[in-house]
Amino acid sequence: MTFNLALTGSDLLLLLPEILLTLWLCVILSIDFSMRHVRHETLAYLSIGGLVATILTLVWFDQSGVTGALFKNMFVLDRLAIFFKILILFATALVIFISIDYVKAFRFFKGEYYFLVVMSALGMMFMASASDMVSVFVTLEFSTFGFYVLVAYLRDDLRSSEAGLKFFILGVFAAGLLAYGISLVYGETGTMIFSEMASTPGSYGLAIGFLLIFAALGFKIGAVPFHSWIPDTYQGAPTPVTAFLSIAPKAAAMAILIRMFYVALASYKPMWVLLFVGASIISMTYGNIVAIAQKNIKRLLAYSGIAQIGTVLIGLAAGTKQGSDAIMFYLLTYLFANLGAFAVVIGVSNLIKSDEIEDYNGLNRRSPFLAAAMLLFLLSLAGVPPLAGFIGKLYLFVAAIEQELYTLLIVGLINIVISMYYYLVVVKKMYINEPTDPSPLTVSLPLKTAVYVGIAGTLILGIYPKPFIDWAVSATLMFSNIVAPTTAASPMIGG
Amino acid sequence: MADYSLLIILFAPFLGAIALIFVPRKEEFLTRMVAVVSSGICLLASAYIFFAYDTEKSGFQFTQKFAWSEELGISFYVGVDGIGGPLVFASAILLFAGIFVSWHIKDRTKEFYIFLLILAAATIGVFMSLDLFFLYFFYEMSVLPMYVLLGIWGSHTKGYLSMTDPEGIKLRDSVGYILNFGSNSKEYAAMKLTLFLSAGAVMALMGILLIYHFSGMHTFDIVELRKNANFSGPLATIIWLLVFFGFASIAPIWPLHSWSPVGHAAAPAATSMLHAGVLMKLGHFSIIRVGYEILPDTTRELIPIAAILCVFSIVYGGLVSYFAKDTKYVIGYSSSSHMGYIFLGMAALDYISLTGAVIYMFAHALATGMLFAMAGWVYDQTHTRDIPSLGGLMEKMPFLSGAFIVACMASIGMPGTVNFIAEIMIIVGSWQKYPFQVIVAILGIVLTMAYLFRMMRGLFYGQLDPEYAHAQDAKAFVDRLPLLIMIFFSISLGIFPGHFYNVVRSSVEPLLDRINQVAPLITQNSTGLLP
Repeated sequence: MTFNLALTGSDLLLLLPEILLTLWLCVILSIDFSMRHVRHETLAYLSIGGLVATILTLVWFDQSGVTGALFKNMFVLDRLAIFFKILILFATALVIFISIDYVKAFRFFKGEYYFLVVMSALGMMFMASASDMVSVFVTLEFSTFGFYVLVAYLRDDLRSSEAGLKFFILGVFAAGLLAYGISLVYGETGTMIFSEMASTPGSYGLAIGFLLIFAALGFKIGAVPFHSWIPDTYQGAPTPVTAFLSIAPKAAAMAILIRMFYVALASYKPMWVLLFVGASIISMTYGNIVAIAQKNIKRLLAYSGIAQIGTVLIGLAAGTKQGSDAIMFYLLTYLFANLGAFAVVIGVSNLIKSDEIEDYNGLNRRSPFLAAAMLLFLLSLAGVPPLAGFIGKLYLFVAAIEQELYTLLIVGLINIVISMYYYLVVVKKMYINEPTDPSPLTVSLPLKTAVYVGIAGTLILGIYPKPFIDWAVSATLMFSNIVAPTTAASPMIGG
Repeated sequence: MADYSLLIILFAPFLGAIALIFVPRKEEFLTRMVAVVSSGICLLASAYIFFAYDTEKSGFQFTQKFAWSEELGISFYVGVDGIGGPLVFASAILLFAGIFVSWHIKDRTKEFYIFLLILAAATIGVFMSLDLFFLYFFYEMSVLPMYVLLGIWGSHTKGYLSMTDPEGIKLRDSVGYILNFGSNSKEYAAMKLTLFLSAGAVMALMGILLIYHFSGMHTFDIVELRKNANFSGPLATIIWLLVFFGFASIAPIWPLHSWSPVGHAAAPAATSMLHAGVLMKLGHFSIIRVGYEILPDTTRELIPIAAILCVFSIVYGGLVSYFAKDTKYVIGYSSSSHMGYIFLGMAALDYISLTGAVIYMFAHALATGMLFAMAGWVYDQTHTRDIPSLGGLMEKMPFLSGAFIVACMASIGMPGTVNFIAEIMIIVGSWQKYPFQVIVAILGIVLTMAYLFRMMRGLFYGQLDPEYAHAQDAKAFVDRLPLLIMIFFSISLGIFPGHFYNVVRSSVEPLLDRINQVAPLITQNSTGLLP
């Protein structure tokens, strides 16, 4: 087959957000090495400005209905992609907000920190648009490279280096699995494009290929049994990078999973539903039970993240349009609650230089603001009304009960109670225990902004989620007929 | 005229809590005033709906409906019937009284009132929700503030702080002291309560989701589901059992009660009042609202379960109360025991007994609220809840001991208090169907008398320990006001129960007609435990 790369102006328009961000990256990098006197904060705010401009472009695309596909369907821009791109960019902007104070402590700080963060975001934007096996591989690696550096950013910290090495080795291993899986799938189907695979007859090669691809993506989202890097990497990495890792790559990988399984494998739904039911049950139960024993807040959030991803997989196990809507809504709620929780962790560790849960004793007396914010975020993660996480969980449960997945539902409900325990233990430390050092803690402005955004998101999504639910629903209109296997191809404008 | 009173009742405490966030920490008086004003508005509006309730009409009144999410079939739909209305009123009374009872809290006053207002507002939200989603929403929302309220402002059982394990390490400092079974730290009580109630809640949620799915109507609207949904066979049984045991864990029925006395004992006075007074009734209320309304046929078949379990509740709670040495344990177990009466009234499926059960919910809220308020006062003055070490407080606290006698009379069900009417209706109404249970219930009243008089003697009569010579009576107006309010409503509604009776009866009748419709007069030849 031949590629025709004669791009027209309207084709390039589809790439506009990515082009904009790429140019902006160059600007940030050149400012960093050409103007030595520029302060770190300026670079951070410049990056945020670029991200916000890109988000606005995407919102404009969403409103005016700009959709289409480029490069023989390798790159699609539909409302699903736009949703995930906005989510990823928003998370990135918040991560930069919570980084500003944290990176001041770096001994070898250079402005490339922000460059790497935004570059990873760019890679994940491409992931959200990947609709072809080759672009899945390329974009996945593109986004991960930035993280390899970021995780090991604390050069003189042993834990950080260890985390970086673990993440790198397992990441490369996952990439190998992915490449092998793609080669098997290509061998069976003779095509790289999702929508063309839909009509292929089933075979063992195809099944093994997709299992390997799922393993690679499972590594990305941190689902059991591909989770083993998560706790150490989360603990060792600089906390803002941990926060970034905990939401953005997971969202991007979920975009690929949704697209791959809903478009390419729609006709094999009964089989992969079992796969996701299994992965979901193991992830939720394992994550929640192991989280109980954690003494470090970053490890606690790591295991709770594994459990949360298990919850998200309920949506894929449902395998319906409603399931994908619920996933997207849940990721939004998770974005605010999880990033908010990490923002509080950063706020505390900036001041007391510790991530041990024991040191959260009496946080309510030292900083009522941080304690109250953490309370809201943890309860949202636990799924307590009127916070966002409750609506997200309920939405997923509704999607599951409509498919009559009783086992999954019962396990999910029991896990709510289990998770309540360890979240409440943190609440207990913050509110009930007395502090050993009662000196008040003060929070810097950028961090406060991020925490306020988190609180606002957690409350708004919990009390008035309608616009966001409607947004998710309209982003997946192409999956309306997912139940009928033959008409799974998405209505995209040709490329 | 569109009637916004329910929204006012619901949102006044919420807005009060939000306003409190912005009140500076030092302004303790302003903090209290915000709480008083918001709960006062709530109380006035709920008094309005209680007295303006039209007893000629059946169905839900003061309804308000707003679309919330078409995608999930949820609407924000509130309204009260003759069962929810009085309970909303009771919640508002207890909230208002609770604000004054906790007038002397010094530690983190602001947070205390924020959590208290959220707790009460969420409770009120359940009583007026006509949408299953929001019923669950407010139900679960009411559980969590309890954790913080108990944990921070609660109290340990006497001697807990000095308890040591065999190696001489103080238990309070040991690693696993949250899961320290057998000891009664407030942390343990708070965690136990939260996890128990959450477990019950997710069980009920499973039932609610099954109703949502199998009704095939894609709605959580209770009014719609009641009209059109039809469940039968094993599915209906499963849903009913999930809903019943899920909600009964907060009620709490006998085998699921163990969190309740521990929780009541550890909680600060205002929280115990709200908790024993109205939070536990969320269970009965939700069973009526979800089980009775949506699954009437299954209710008729399976409600004897409640009739069997309520015997254990009454006897077990009463006996433990009699032997308990801790004032709050006595009241806590007595509440567990008295919840059995409500289940008995509900189980008989008789107009008189169910009306009695609903009135009992209201009456018990006031009586137990008074008892907890006074136990809290005694604790604040003496810093102990241990009955044997107290005594002779009568000479120090003449007003309080007088009020305590009234509260005991109310709790026992003396004529003149609203409890009497409720109890007599439950007993008369259930006699035909469950004579054995009624005999137990009557013995339970004797038992109630025994343990309350025992506690009264232990606290107020006998020799005063010189250690407690500094104890003060409730002299200030703010200290007497909550007790006077509760005594006022308990006695005035006890003497003039006409309107109250009509309100409840207007809703109970159509409800029971639906349940008993298919096989009327099944009560004729039944004896003993089995229907």
